Amino acid sequence: MQTDTKILAHEFEYLTPNTLNEALDMLDRYQDKNAKILAGGTDLLVKMKTINLKPDYIINIKNIQEINFITYNDDGLKIGAVTSLSQVEKSKEVKAKYSALYEAIKSMAAIAVRNMGTIAGNLCNASPAADTAPPLIAYGAEVKLANKRGERAVPVEEFLTGPGKTVISSNELLTQLNIPVLDENTGSSFLKIGRVKADIAKINIAVYLERKNNVCKSCKIVFGSVAKTPIRVKGAEDILRGQQLTSDVLTKVAEKASEEIKPITDIRSTAEYRHEIAKVMVEKAVNLAWERAGD
Amino acid sequence: MKKAEIEFTVNGKKRTLFVKTNELLINVLRNDLNLTGTKYACGIGECGACTVLLEGRPVLSCLTLAVDVNGKNITTIEGISKDGFDPVQKSFLKNAAVQCGFCTPGMILMAKSLLKENPNPTEDEIRDYLRGNICRCTGYTQIIKAVKECANNHNQDK
Amino acid sequence: MENKQFIAISKRFDIKNVGKVTGKEIYASDVNIPGMMHAVVLRSPYPHAEIKSIDLTEAEKTGAICISRDDVPDLIYNERIVSIPDKTYKDRTVLPKDKVRHTGEAVAAVAADTEETAFKALEKIKVEYKKLPAVFDIDEAMKPDTSQLYSYVYLGDKKIDIENNIACVRNISVSDIDKGFEEADVIVEETFNVQRIYHMQLETKSTVCVPEADGGITIWTTTQGIHNVRILLGEIFNIPLHKINVKRITLGGSFGSSIQMNSITPICVALALKAKSPVKLVMPREDDIYDHASYPLRTKIKIGAKKDGTLTAGHCKVWVEIGAHNIQAYPYLGCIAGWFASLYKWINIKYEGKAVYTNKTPTCARRGYGSPQINFPVENAMDILAEKLGMDPIELRLKNYVGKGDEFWGQGPTIKSIIRSCGVEEMLVEGSKLIGWDKRIPPSEKTGDIRRGIGVARGFHTSGTGGPNPGEVIDYSGATVKINEDGSVDVVTALMDHGGGTWDVAAKVAAEVLKVPFDKVGIYNGVDTRTTVFDVNTHATRGVYCGCGAVKLAAEKVKKILLNYAATLFKDLPENLELVCNEELGQAVVYPKGLPEKYKTVGEIAKTAQIKSWGTIAYTSSLRQKNCPPCFITYFTEVEVNTKTGQIKIPRVIMMGDSGTIMNPELWKGQIIGAFSQGIGLGYIEEIPYDTNTGKLKCNGFITDFKVLTTTEMPKIDDIKVLPAHTYEPTGPFGAKGIGEAALSAVASSFGNAVYNAVGIRFYDLPITPEKMLKALKEKEEKKDKKE
Repeated sequence: MQTDTKILAHEFEYLTPNTLNEALDMLDRYQDKNAKILAGGTDLLVKMKTINLKPDYIINIKNIQEINFITYNDDGLKIGAVTSLSQVEKSKEVKAKYSALYEAIKSMAAIAVRNMGTIAGNLCNASPAADTAPPLIAYGAEVKLANKRGERAVPVEEFLTGPGKTVISSNELLTQLNIPVLDENTGSSFLKIGRVKADIAKINIAVYLERKNNVCKSCKIVFGSVAKTPIRVKGAEDILRGQQLTSDVLTKVAEKASEEIKPITDIRSTAEYRHEIAKVMVEKAVNLAWERAGD
Repeated sequence: MKKAEIEFTVNGKKRTLFVKTNELLINVLRNDLNLTGTKYACGIGECGACTVLLEGRPVLSCLTLAVDVNGKNITTIEGISKDGFDPVQKSFLKNAAVQCGFCTPGMILMAKSLLKENPNPTEDEIRDYLRGNICRCTGYTQIIKAVKECANNHNQDK
Repeated sequence: MENKQFIAISKRFDIKNVGKVTGKEIYASDVNIPGMMHAVVLRSPYPHAEIKSIDLTEAEKTGAICISRDDVPDLIYNERIVSIPDKTYKDRTVLPKDKVRHTGEAVAAVAADTEETAFKALEKIKVEYKKLPAVFDIDEAMKPDTSQLYSYVYLGDKKIDIENNIACVRNISVSDIDKGFEEADVIVEETFNVQRIYHMQLETKSTVCVPEADGGITIWTTTQGIHNVRILLGEIFNIPLHKINVKRITLGGSFGSSIQMNSITPICVALALKAKSPVKLVMPREDDIYDHASYPLRTKIKIGAKKDGTLTAGHCKVWVEIGAHNIQAYPYLGCIAGWFASLYKWINIKYEGKAVYTNKTPTCARRGYGSPQINFPVENAMDILAEKLGMDPIELRLKNYVGKGDEFWGQGPTIKSIIRSCGVEEMLVEGSKLIGWDKRIPPSEKTGDIRRGIGVARGFHTSGTGGPNPGEVIDYSGATVKINEDGSVDVVTALMDHGGGTWDVAAKVAAEVLKVPFDKVGIYNGVDTRTTVFDVNTHATRGVYCGCGAVKLAAEKVKKILLNYAATLFKDLPENLELVCNEELGQAVVYPKGLPEKYKTVGEIAKTAQIKSWGTIAYTSSLRQKNCPPCFITYFTEVEVNTKTGQIKIPRVIMMGDSGTIMNPELWKGQIIGAFSQGIGLGYIEEIPYDTNTGKLKCNGFITDFKVLTTTEMPKIDDIKVLPAHTYEPTGPFGAKGIGEAALSAVASSFGNAVYNAVGIRFYDLPITPEKMLKALKEKEEKKDKKE
């Protein structure tokens, strides 16, 4: 297959809705006609250049102000679909409260890409290595999917179904992301290993846990880049839940987590390495979240 | 395919152009406006050579549709100093932060943007901010030094 | 050492880089000609296939100009013509005539009004291939029953058969190797592999070609030498050289990738000639990755020494997997022998080199021309030897290095000269103090998850390929220096600058000879093969030593003319006159010795010469240097290994360089630090593996999966020290030698030795990825457990 990354050779109809309703109308109209949503461009245009993705319609939603926001209140954190990664990274609440998400965004690519890209795009691209997915799953975040007839909420954990696959229908738009208010005595962390700092993850992990009376009351441990989608290691979570954080418990958690993941060997790393390193990362990430949870 | 009319400001100058929807900003700048300081080096957002400022913030022109900048404000390397040299440009020269020069426009625009956001960055902050810009000649050290020196000078001015 | 007050040399200047910080510098890829067409190249999806047919009909219906094998000359050539014709292997045509030999090989090309329309036309070209078995591995390739890439090629004008995919062989012996090993008390024998990598020069290869009315062509292209491009295009297209003009233009990095004429250059020319229109061809990055790579090297090394550390023998067997074309494997094999022979006094040497074709991207020179590849085995083996001898690695090196008064092989066995300046001892001794070598402890005494280690390695490169006798490599330069009518100076040369400041140095040399302030010396683009005399190439770290040597010669001749004219004005003899720089006036001035107040400025003299019609004060030189002095380098690298993750960081490095007089201190440092980042990349991250099922690169040509170091992987500013040795090269312009390639030679070696010092594991194959490190650590633990 021949490519030319200097240009976009493929021609398409370019649509620029100014309101959400307009966008949903267009999606409805073109749902069977190979339409793609353009928000940041850092995934869509790359795919058009490198794997000859050839949409007939591109619906640029960047100008829709209704979905360009980030707010925080008693309901939690809400992020619009076209809000850039940089905007999220700069939010005081995200930095102060949602450490894992903050760290995940900080770990992504570089400034220019984060000025362009969005969390919604990162999720819809549905890479098993997507950096924002593990923290969002750990927090129990959900996405709002809208079409002309209404909207539905889907947990991020269920949203992603495989490499490049989500539950979104061709007439739906991911409009918003809802992350619940985090309980007292909770802490979260995100870690990632790449070949260089600005890289796609060889492996990444997010941990969110609640610590009470020096016991782990609840926890979620989510890995990326070790299976077809980001995955929770529920067996490891079970081991940790209800326990004090001793090195013995941590070792068991790590062993279990390493068993539960299903990594492959690819150009970025080996299955063997990912199994090994998963243990180190779980220990470090759980410790970090534990410290942050305080008591 | 029909061309669409776009009107945007480049380096302070209003420009009206007719472009196809699949034309990329980088090529419109380089081919139509002869602003060849914006460089192609990877085309997929992995190297930073095509960085321009969109509304003052760095973006990658190789992943930006030209139609998408309609009504917006673009600054390229050619537009960062009206007369003489910008302090960042001077510092790059002084610190030999330039070798082949192909990454230099992107690096300078990133440095400008960093210093605007954070006038006194630490060395680690500079390194982190520039991590998406590949330089194959310098090993980065003199580039980082050049930016750091601007930061310090900036403080002295205050 | 000569102690001299310079007016320009060793001082820092910025003016030649003004275009690069303002975006105004024009590179080949920036050249826009009104009405030009844009070209794209159709590339083979298969690593090895017979081309049954190529159908351009549908593509041409779009109005695009298309070329394929029938539209290009039949001439079989080699794109690199630095070697003499008798030693040049030729195996390619502009586009392949019968079969493709690697994925990404150009098959056809299209030009149209825009690149988008050209690409759409290209998608309509129909090529019918018959797939052939492909080989990717040298051992496989050399088996008699394996698929053959070539049945014959040409060596010079002689047709030679190719058997078992062996492109060429080179064996060299000095003294008696068997006797050498008999005398040895300790022997080290190991096999090392240094991987192929991609140059990742920032500017992808580019060419713009304008067909002229007289049947000639004008070219702007990414190249390290404009004259060789012209000569080759003349041969291929049968156009007399005076009708071909190649413009000298700034190069966006090269690192050896443009020593040869770029593969796309004749393609662009063929398109332009057919279209009768200017054509621009700028490679997409993914095409560029499939265009060229560095030579990998497998080395089986055996070295012997007496108990006291005196070396007695060195035996190297090397195999180089060259990919689908033999661009320069023969001189490469010679150079590796030379780098090997010139590192240490082996006394008895045996060298056996083989270059083998495979169905991968063709390999070509990359910074160091094999030196980093052979330095890694040698410098690792020296550390192994030191440990066996119970000797300090620095002491072993000091005892055996090739230094002042010894013979240096500057370009294989045919270009040699005597070393006249050498900072090796100073660098080893002073560097060891700076790094704290005496506090270095063996790996067995280290504990904890994070382990640090220090490694030393030394290397060098030649400065040019000149020598007392002509050899297999062409080496000479030329320059025109002229004093303008206001006393300012033009330096006109075909010499290329890769970004290391070669042009700055050329201007400085002219300023120094003519005592003209540096800002009154111009060295501008816009010159070309018509206005310059031959300069072989900016390669072999020859820019300063050879290229600027020619500038110095021209400037000295100009000085003579100037003083002759001045003598007429002063009614005196030239030898009674003094030429100095008058900084207050910002001019060079001439006065009769002892009478400085009677000065005349060079501007006045030049103006007088013009008014009185004496002629232009100018001279054109052509110079072959008679030596090839090594520029030495020594690295003390500290690593920090995380034994839990296998990741390696570089907390600190001391880099010592011996370039004789340093012409441009800041850029000199920059070149060394830049080489360090490339060398560490070679050490732990850079590689371009193939999927042998498809014959494609695993990265598919996209740099998403070809990583190089970024800002965050480099040590901090204060943890990098670059220091010069205090030497003076008596044969160099103002005492100067080179630096560019020397700087890379020993980086990965020092890294490997430091890793050993940190964790006690010797790695024989680069890169040392976290995956390999963790696996090796685990295996080491398991071995230890078994023992216990």
